[in-house]
Order: sequence, then structure tokens, then C-alpha cells
Amino acid sequence: MLLEARRVTRDFGAFRALAEADLTVAEGEMIGLIGPNGAGKSTFFNCLAGDLAPTSGSVHFAGRDVTRAAPEAHARLGMGRTFQVPATFEDMSVLENVMVGAFLRHPGRRAAREAAEAVVERVGMADIRHARARGLGTPGRKRLEIARVLATEPKLLLLDEALAGLNPAEIVRAIELVRQIHAGGITIVIVEHIMEVILSLAQRVIVFNQGRIIASGKPADVVEEPAVVEAYLGHSLKRRPPR
Amino acid sequence: MKGRGLLYLGAAIVLVVYPLVFSGAFAERIGALVLLAAIGASAWNILGGYAGQISVGHAMFYGIGAYVPLLAYRLWELPPLAGVPAAIVLSLVLATLIGFPTFRLVGHYFSMATIAVAELIRIVVSNWDFVGGAIGLMGPATSRTVFDLSFKSSVPYYYLFLGVLAVVLGVTWQLERSRMGYYLRAIKAGERAARSLGVPVRRYKLFALLLSAAFTAVAGSLYALMIGFADPDSVFSLLVSVDMIIVAALGGAGTLAGPLVGAAILVPLREYTNSIFGGGNSGLTYILFGGIIMLIARFEPGGLMEIGRRLAALLPRAPRREVRRRAA
Repeated sequence: MLLEARRVTRDFGAFRALAEADLTVAEGEMIGLIGPNGAGKSTFFNCLAGDLAPTSGSVHFAGRDVTRAAPEAHARLGMGRTFQVPATFEDMSVLENVMVGAFLRHPGRRAAREAAEAVVERVGMADIRHARARGLGTPGRKRLEIARVLATEPKLLLLDEALAGLNPAEIVRAIELVRQIHAGGITIVIVEHIMEVILSLAQRVIVFNQGRIIASGKPADVVEEPAVVEAYLGHSLKRRPPR
Repeated sequence: MKGRGLLYLGAAIVLVVYPLVFSGAFAERIGALVLLAAIGASAWNILGGYAGQISVGHAMFYGIGAYVPLLAYRLWELPPLAGVPAAIVLSLVLATLIGFPTFRLVGHYFSMATIAVAELIRIVVSNWDFVGGAIGLMGPATSRTVFDLSFKSSVPYYYLFLGVLAVVLGVTWQLERSRMGYYLRAIKAGERAARSLGVPVRRYKLFALLLSAAFTAVAGSLYALMIGFADPDSVFSLLVSVDMIIVAALGGAGTLAGPLVGAAILVPLREYTNSIFGGGNSGLTYILFGGIIMLIARFEPGGLMEIGRRLAALLPRAPRREVRRRAA
């Protein structure tokens, strides 16, 4: 297994945000995490990425125990992540942003620049590589975050609502990009609210509610489970009410 | 790039010929003080400007830089210059000691911690007879050898400071282009995102602090060499740190030339206002400086260099460059 999280629990004072969540991810998988707001998805995500230390439980990545490891150690091992609210380096250009990621595997400036140029080309940002991140809109920032983390050459990519705030045309482009990245051999775990996205991308879906995993399995099966319908969807996707 | 290179070359020529054009004790002294302020602000800029760690306690390194050479003279009658390496080493030790605990703090908390440490050191120095207490330390009254670097004219200091500034700016330029430069800017923009990309944030903050502290100590030593005297108020006070910050912020924190631009404006302004207000009201100068800080913070946090960059962006591009860009 590439990633193995066992009974991960996270408390904030007396509040239990995440209770004994399990996740195993094999190389090459694409897994979707869904659930209503406050369900514990982001907390779980942050525990996987090293941003939060679990109160109890363990996280193993690439054969190493990374339960208490810092985020930079996760990155070095090959786990990359994006953020729900894009955290681009505003005063740096698109290329410079990506170079920060590229320096992880290419310490020399020239090599990092070449690697970053290749990534910028790959995600379709070559035309604006000298533009400052500050001037980009939400789609550009989301794409830049993906480019930046790709430059770290990850084995596993954690995408935290990478499609939120995009219009339908941008979502189509973003889905295409995620597919392309996955086809390139990178394992992906994606948190997303847009069910159509999850259904079209993920091979396996895990549903959170009130800090617990309430269902997991193939997307088509999971969305029909009564617990998921009740907690998250509100209605079956097969019997969508008329608009 | 070509235009910027020419601009830097022009600035270098102006700096080299300045004492030849503006002769006279006042102008020469102003020139030397501008360069000294630029060295101090450039040193602060590495930590505060590039890494975004706003230290308001850099006077501790400046003060150590000023005191150790004068102490070497007082204790062993060595040329003050001989104490400069020891001042740098002591600053590095202090930077390491305060770096580990304070870098756990972020934003205003870090700034407040640096103020607290610097004030603590000022109070200790003010009450420690071994280092002259509140009276301070004196350098050689007359020049014994050339190594005392004691000159009547400000011109030798001017060129000494210019050489040191060239070294500081050269190191900063190299840093800007290196992995460390990119990492520091990423840390400034967002530590969490930087860490997620594999940046060892605390280690690089510490590197920046060490480099910044070493150069600040050198600036303090140069001050002591030129003035020949240092007391707690003149080198360890909060206003020394504030000076560095305002100079860098006005010119453009996080830019190579910003501190020099800021110094070229603020030092003559300070000397002028000091002469108007007189010694008894020198604090009024800082009211003016406070106004400048508010204006920068409100209207252009990027400083004058950012305004220059925006103006340059409005200029029509050279045709060749446009063609090259299209071809790429």
C-alpha cells in the first residue's frame, strides 16, 4: 500500500472532529472523499498531509511512519497536496511559484527552472508563466497550485477541493487535467463537493459524516446507500428531483 | 534585464564619483551615512524583506557589532578592526540562541519577541560596567596606526562603506537567484504552502537570520569605526532597529536596491530635520518617520521600487524584446 491510515482520530479540545478514520490507498488509485461541510474531510486530509498531528491512530506512507512527521517530510517522501483556498505565492510569477516546488528534486537553479518550465507547459500555463500569481483568477490559482505540487514529483497527490469555485467550462478543463495527471502514474486522493466530478473521476469513494466514515466503495454503489443519501445527498442521484 | 543592468551600472558610477563631485565635510559625511544606513537596512532586508520575518530587534546585532571592536581596544588596545570578526561570531551565536525559540512564533508575536530580547540586552549593557555601562565605550582618540581606521575626513569611510555595501548587495543578489532566495520568498508568502512543497521553513529562517545578523554586526562595527564611540542609546536602542526597517520599507523591502534607495532619501532627510529641530527635539524626526511608515503601509507596501516597477511596466517595450518573447 502506498498510503495506510489506521484509526486516525483528531480532537480539538473536547470536540472530536475525526473519529477512527481508516484509509488504504494502493498505487495508481484515484479515491474521492465526500461529505457535508464539517464532516471531517479536511481534518482527515490535514492529518494525512502532516499539517495536523492525529490525537491517536497512525499514518504510513511509502512504508514509513509519518504520523508525527512535518509536512516537508511528507513532501520529500513524495506526498503532495493542494489547499482548499489556493495558497499561491502572490508576489512571485507563475514560473517562480512552480520553481519553489521543483527545487525539492532539483537543487540547482537551472535544473529547477527547466523542470518548472516542463510542468508549466504540461498544465497549460506556459503563456502566462511570467505573470504574477496575484493577478490570476481562481481557476488560474487552482491550476498553479496543481502545477507547483506536480513540480515536487509526487507519488501521491492530495487535492483539496481543487475544482471549487470554477464554472462548468473550467471544471471540464480541470477534470481533464486531473485525468491526465492520473494517467501519468500519480495516485490521487481528491476531496470534492461536486458529485458529478467524483462520480466521473474516482474509482472508490469514502463518505464522511460528523467525523466518521459512514460508507466506502465504488461511486455508483455508495451514492445509493441510504446513510449517504440521508446524510449528504438528500436524494438518490438516480431519482434526481426535477429542477 | 538590459535596462536594469544599465540602471545598476549608472547607480554604481554615481556612488563611486559622489565624493569627487560633492566635496565638503557635510556632503561627504552624509554620503558615508547613507551607505552605512544602506548596509544596515540591506542586512535587515535579508530576514525582514525576503523572508518576511519582521525583526524589530536588530539593534542587538548592530550594538554587538559596535561594542566588541571598541571593547577589544579598551581591554587590549587592539585596533578596533581586530574586534570585527569576534563581533560577527558573537552575533551569530546570539542569532542562533534566539532563532530557535522565536521562530516558533509568527507575525506580530515574532516581532514582539525580538523587541523584548533587544531591550533586555540594551538594559543589561546599560548597567554592566565591564562594557562601560550607560556611558559606553570609546575608540582610539588619535590614529596610532592605519589599522585604527581613524580618519579626519569622511571620504575614506565612504569608500570603505561602499566596498562593504557592494559585498552585502553581491551576496544578496546571489541569494535572490539561489534556491534559498526562492524559499525565503515562499516562506514570506505562506509558510504552510511552503512546507507542503518540502521547504524546511525553520532551517531557512535561521539561515536568513544568521546572514542578516552577521551583516548587521558589520554595519555596527563600521559605525563604531567611523564615530569612534558607542553607548547603549546610540547603537542598542529600538530606534536603531526602526531606522533599518523604515529605510528598507521606503525603498522596497525584499528588493535588492530598495534599502539603498530608502537610505538615499531618508538619511539626508533625517540630517536635515535634525538640524531644523535641533538636538533637543530630535524625537520629532521620528514623528516624520512614523508618518512615512503609515503612508507606505497604506498606499504602497512594496515601497518606491514597486512604484518604479509599475511605472516601468507602463513604458512601451523595446521591439526586439517583444519579438523574442513571441518567438518563445
